[in-house]
Amino acid sequence: MTSKLALDRRRFLASTAAATFMAGVTMPKIVFGANKVVKIGFLAPLTGAVAAWGKPGLDGLQIWADWVNADGGIKIGDDVCKIEFVAYDEEYDPSKARTGAVKLIKEDDVKFIMMLGGDPWPGASPVAEKEKMLVSTLLPSDLSPETTMLVAPCEVHPIYNVTGVEWLAENKPDLKTAVICAQDDSLGKPSVATYLAAFEAAGIKVLGDPIFFDPATTDFAPIMSKMLALKPDIICLDTCYADYVHPLTEQAFQQGFKGQMISCTADFYPKMIEKTSKEFMEGFIFQFPDFDDPALNEPHVNFRKPNEFYAEYVKRFGEGEWGAVSWEYASIMDLWSDAAQRADTTDPEAVLTAMKVGGTGKQAFGDAEWWGKELFGIDNALVGLWPVVVIEDGKAKIKEFKSIPDWWGKHKDLLIKHMEALDQMYYQRS
Amino acid sequence: MTIELFLQTVVNATYAASYMALIAVGFVLIFGVMGVVNFAHGELYMAGAYTVVALYADQGFPFFLAVAVGLVFVGLLGLLMELALFQPLRDNPLGGLIASIGFLLILQTIAVLGFGVRMENVPPSTQDKLVLLDGAVLTYQRLYVIVAAVGLLTALWLFLRKSKFGWALRACAQDREAAVLQGMSINQTARLAMFIGAALAGVAGALTAPLVSPTPFMGHSVIVTAFIIIIVGGLGSLEGAVLVAILYAFVHTFVTTLYDGTLANIVGLLLMLAVLVVRPTGLFGAKERA
Repeated sequence: MTSKLALDRRRFLASTAAATFMAGVTMPKIVFGANKVVKIGFLAPLTGAVAAWGKPGLDGLQIWADWVNADGGIKIGDDVCKIEFVAYDEEYDPSKARTGAVKLIKEDDVKFIMMLGGDPWPGASPVAEKEKMLVSTLLPSDLSPETTMLVAPCEVHPIYNVTGVEWLAENKPDLKTAVICAQDDSLGKPSVATYLAAFEAAGIKVLGDPIFFDPATTDFAPIMSKMLALKPDIICLDTCYADYVHPLTEQAFQQGFKGQMISCTADFYPKMIEKTSKEFMEGFIFQFPDFDDPALNEPHVNFRKPNEFYAEYVKRFGEGEWGAVSWEYASIMDLWSDAAQRADTTDPEAVLTAMKVGGTGKQAFGDAEWWGKELFGIDNALVGLWPVVVIEDGKAKIKEFKSIPDWWGKHKDLLIKHMEALDQMYYQRS
Repeated sequence: MTIELFLQTVVNATYAASYMALIAVGFVLIFGVMGVVNFAHGELYMAGAYTVVALYADQGFPFFLAVAVGLVFVGLLGLLMELALFQPLRDNPLGGLIASIGFLLILQTIAVLGFGVRMENVPPSTQDKLVLLDGAVLTYQRLYVIVAAVGLLTALWLFLRKSKFGWALRACAQDREAAVLQGMSINQTARLAMFIGAALAGVAGALTAPLVSPTPFMGHSVIVTAFIIIIVGGLGSLEGAVLVAILYAFVHTFVTTLYDGTLANIVGLLLMLAVLVVRPTGLFGAKERA
């Protein structure tokens, strides 16, 4: 026993010496080397029902980092910095989001945190505000006058949903009635208010009350039966998660619906076609393009190399894996890195100031304005053009880029009315 | 409510009752014979669904072959649980419960590592459907679940009533000590119960895989429903599990259709509460059970 211990100790000492030697060899590179590493936090659901709006985003970020780092990194002040992402799975749970925010800020020393937002945001919010950490959300409905360090620089969910309804009314004016369903949560409710406003603005009557279902629902047949009983021209799937959009669409197909479908997202839509038919999915309207779309090469689009990005994504992860958020966090990183370079620092407050300078910014689909005072109590949402996407012959195609500020200018009272009716205005949220 | 909507709701409820009954009966069989609350029962359901993902959706084997393999594979998983977890902890029911939670996490992790966290796409084996009335339809994919549930539960009932092994299972469920005194092997009976109970959950997952888009976490929601059903039906009562699965599915589906799903969940829980207040042993539960 004694000799074994002594042998183990010798091995341990030898290993330690070797490790120390290796560290000594590599240390000068770290101390005197050219590149620093800036860590960026990714605090989003990577597992569970909402993982489809987390994991594909992290995959897209990896491509972004590989490309930027291969070019040498980003120049901040006198340093050229590589970017490293540190991910934490908050499982769409506020308490886990809080733990994740503490870990990312205190242990990993990240300079910026990207979140999906929604239900987990109240968990991370106190930590982010206390530590003055710049955080981005995809859901501007998280914004309020108190969230001074929170920005929505890419996706103005759910306000862009108005563009799909506006396009539908312009192109299919014979469709006059709609029904809406959504999961009963912080993502579904503001989106329902937005669709209600958009349908009212477009002169489309919503039949019955919106149907809110429990997020734990597994069998969607009763919900679809209820909607179809109202004989609508349009079925609106609101901002249902992918795990709900698929079975709801399948149920609409199986129960014989022949009308128009509209949804915020249609993630992994080739699989929806596989479960229904190409004919059934023809004309399905949603809001998130495939980035191989030629329309993304129009000069107003700010996202860098969208077609190449899509090709690389498909090469790495497969065509069926492309989803709504695959490009979004990468586009936020474009904005952050641009601001950090202009600010010459990664200090969160300085980067935020640089990001918002002049009241405008380069959103993925075009130049946009920092907006939101009337709806969120703070101008921290970057809003401009948003694409309307339609499935044609089994493939998503951008039909038009429509202006959200233009719609807002004409119909803001309607949106505020419906937001208030569902207790979704910033001054109504607890 | 129109006649079409009423009929469609009956069809929807019948399907829901079918898969719920398969899951709940397996759950109650394991509890009745072994006295263990198998928290991993939902994950056995998930394992059945992923068998179909692997064999039918990914490898292109015939759907019913994949379902049959799912039944046997998950039954064997149950057998493994019995041999590795429950048998060594036979005298410690709390230990069995905790071990089942551990097994739940292991199965979830295996599914995540093997298939990823996202939902899987399982194309329907057929898109044919029966049109009952204009607007009321029953797809063959759902009909398979209903037919399988009726067939398998009838076979189980006959097995329990007419075979020597079935009598042993029922005897152990009623009074384990008395069964042992009569010369029955608890271990052998437990292995049989675990195989059958797990296989029922597995076949439910396998048959419903094209209808639910499997995820590694799909077991959570069904286990909650299964708990409500076996508590209302009476712990250890197979007949209670079947009848309450039907009752629960119809109440839940009709309330969802007429009002909303959240209210349906509340009604389900109120139903459980009311039964516990009026009849704490459940509608079909014995007053004392070993």
